[in-house]
Amino acid sequence: MVDAALDIINASAGYSGRIVLDAIKLSARKGELTAIVGPNGHGKSTLLKAISGLVPVTSGEIRLDGLRIDRLRPDQIVERGVIQVPQGDLLFPAMTVHENLLMGAYANSGGLAERLDFVFTLLPKLKERRNQTAGTLSGGERRMCGIGRGLMAGGEVLMLDEPSLGLAPIVIEQIYEVIFNLRREGRTILLVEENAERIAEHADMIHLLDNGRIAWSGLGAELMARPEIVETYLGV
Amino acid sequence: MDVLIQIVASGLTLGAMYAVATIGLSLVYGSLNMLNMAHGAILTLGGYICYAAIVHAGLHPVLALLAAALVCALVGLLIYFSAALPLLRAENFETNIFIATIGIGSVIENLMLKGFGPYPIPQPLAVDGQVVIGNVHIPLQNVFILGVAIVLMAAVAILLQRTSTGRAIRATSMNREAAQLMGVRVGRVYAQVLALSGALAAVSGIMISSIATLTPVMGGDPMLKAFIVCVVAGLGNVYGAVIAAIALGLLEAATQYVLGVRWSFATLLLLVILVLIWRPYGLFGKQQVVRL
Amino acid sequence: MTSIRRDILIGVVCLALAIALPLVMPGRYIITQSTLFFIWAIVVVQWNLVLGIGGIFSLAQMALFATGAYATAMLGFYWKVPMLAAIPMAGVVSVAVGMLIGLACLRLRGPYVALLTLAIAQVMYVLIVNDTDCFTTTGGCMPLFGGVRGIGQFGDIGLRALFPSKWYIAHYYVGLALLAVAVTISIVVIRGPLGLAFRALRDNHGYAMSRGISRFKYQLWIFAVSAFFTGIAGGFYAVHFRVVGPTVFSFSTLLFLIAMIVIGGLGSIWGPLLGAAVLMLADEGMRELSDYRNIGLGLLLAVFVIAWPNGLNGWLQRSRAGRD
Repeated sequence: MVDAALDIINASAGYSGRIVLDAIKLSARKGELTAIVGPNGHGKSTLLKAISGLVPVTSGEIRLDGLRIDRLRPDQIVERGVIQVPQGDLLFPAMTVHENLLMGAYANSGGLAERLDFVFTLLPKLKERRNQTAGTLSGGERRMCGIGRGLMAGGEVLMLDEPSLGLAPIVIEQIYEVIFNLRREGRTILLVEENAERIAEHADMIHLLDNGRIAWSGLGAELMARPEIVETYLGV
Repeated sequence: MDVLIQIVASGLTLGAMYAVATIGLSLVYGSLNMLNMAHGAILTLGGYICYAAIVHAGLHPVLALLAAALVCALVGLLIYFSAALPLLRAENFETNIFIATIGIGSVIENLMLKGFGPYPIPQPLAVDGQVVIGNVHIPLQNVFILGVAIVLMAAVAILLQRTSTGRAIRATSMNREAAQLMGVRVGRVYAQVLALSGALAAVSGIMISSIATLTPVMGGDPMLKAFIVCVVAGLGNVYGAVIAAIALGLLEAATQYVLGVRWSFATLLLLVILVLIWRPYGLFGKQQVVRL
Repeated sequence: MTSIRRDILIGVVCLALAIALPLVMPGRYIITQSTLFFIWAIVVVQWNLVLGIGGIFSLAQMALFATGAYATAMLGFYWKVPMLAAIPMAGVVSVAVGMLIGLACLRLRGPYVALLTLAIAQVMYVLIVNDTDCFTTTGGCMPLFGGVRGIGQFGDIGLRALFPSKWYIAHYYVGLALLAVAVTISIVVIRGPLGLAFRALRDNHGYAMSRGISRFKYQLWIFAVSAFFTGIAGGFYAVHFRVVGPTVFSFSTLLFLIAMIVIGGLGSIWGPLLGAAVLMLADEGMRELSDYRNIGLGLLLAVFVIAWPNGLNGWLQRSRAGRD
């Protein structure tokens, strides 16, 4: 499958003895925005963690451009270009915005100045606050810093875990503007969200994750046209 | 006035030695969540290696110091590979590594007891002479120690603030998972931190023994004090620990003068207990919010 | 078989064996070493309450033991209190000290407690050893707490007078009786409400607190309970050896006891006893190597913790679970 950047082939994953993900099969295609939606606590974050190598994959495979990455160390996976912006940002609180961004480029320090420029152009607020300690930023600024940090790594696949979590609606709009801009520029994005509505019309492909399994896959418009699915799984 | 100069002079020297001993401890706890109970033994080992290098191998004092630092850095690495790495995979890491390092420290200490005997030996790495301020004679050795300590602390600060290795260490201490997502190899960070801690302990041991003497059990007291400094500053806070170390040195010098050597430790401890009752996470420490 | 019944069974069997020992092997060395084993076992079993059950990282147990020993000796030496009264009083003194330590550690977490208790023990040691002022001069200069040479000549519990040649066997049974009571109390605590409360606090802190289980109250309780018998063990130690000195604060003794608890298994009922037995035997074996004893001990401790982080008892339980 030349089109797919990231392939998850019947992968199961879990924490010591407890299987959270069961035989997941999905792909994130190059240049597309793939969304994973579903109720909370059903494995969405675990999926991203498994891809990033933080949670062991117990069976099946995960491939990047055809090459297996599921047995690699987290730092090796980052080196190969699979970058995650984790849930809740996980910024380095005592470091400045600038230092956080530098950490983003830790695995891939070539072209640092250009990438920093790019991030500051895309997210001008960060440039304003570049010398401010990350712990003192507002919620929206933190989210932007997290995304900026992820972009500093360059990379092939950008994964975002609930970018709208805990933000005011107006800020969520801004964040999604940035994400959709990235999509328009041809980035491969894998997004996890609880609320499908917001991304329904922009996502190229939506997968519904329920109880550790893919319950439904399709286009955004299809999903919105099936209110029974929306209600059953997303309780909206 | 003379008394004040005397107290400040000895206090700063003590503080400098404690600071060097404490930085490594604080880094190790900050990044690994590990209380290295072998720290005191490594400190002592550093002192003895320096002695042996000068007296038995005839090395130049600077080379001897470097040799001691190198050996102790290797011991730090050894502790990482033999104890920390296997225990990180199991539960109760904090408790288990605490106990394991107690055992390792005891082994190192008793090996030195066996090798060098229980009687105090003078540390040959010392400078003679005095500096005179007002009416007070301050041994040149103290000034020397202060100088070396300042250089070392500056070097560590530069490492932490300006290099990507140092940034990786700080990142790992702040948020291990996030650091992994940045592509930091946390295992390597741990090894680096333990090695660095070993080297710093060696230098601290050489300094302390150059003012006092070398005995196999000399490490226990400074280690306990270094831990107290870390606790008062808030475990994991390196810069706070340096400040607290210097404060502790000054305080110790002051209480020694006023109350005598015997009571100084007890007074210090009482103060520490009071501080901890008032601020359970240390003066500069932050309460960790535990998500339920 | 329910766990309480199993505990009782194990206890009765061990007790029976222990009672029979002097009849089978009345050699003085074995008996006196066994008495020492009983003393350490009491300390370790009580320590397990704080460390294993309470999850409180206290290293103060030896300090409490020393408090009991010193209190007994001083009561006898300065106020001529008969030992049979002095030992329980020393237990109470230990409780008071234990609760003070518990209070100081109340708001602290994990490693902070370890460091604080270690520092407290160290300060006690330093104060005793560095005190060179003569408090009394009868029979030579002696500091208030005995200084480096310790306190002697404070009395006896009377068994030496009753059984002039076999007093050590009498002491053996006294030690055994004390251990039996200590273990019973330990079982009662662990299987009773206090133990449950602590397990709740450890497993789910927030929930337990929201149900009204106050960590503070239980923490103080467990310090107090464990201190009493530790102090009594100290008192018995004093009477048995007839002298109390600062060696009770020695780090190698602490190391020895830590090894017992760790190797036996933290938190279990019989683990500490198992560990104590293993260590006493290992110590016997290493007696030949005198110099290398501490090296051997340290190595044993480190290797054991790294290879079996859950101790002997944990390993036994896992193999038992595997078989079921």
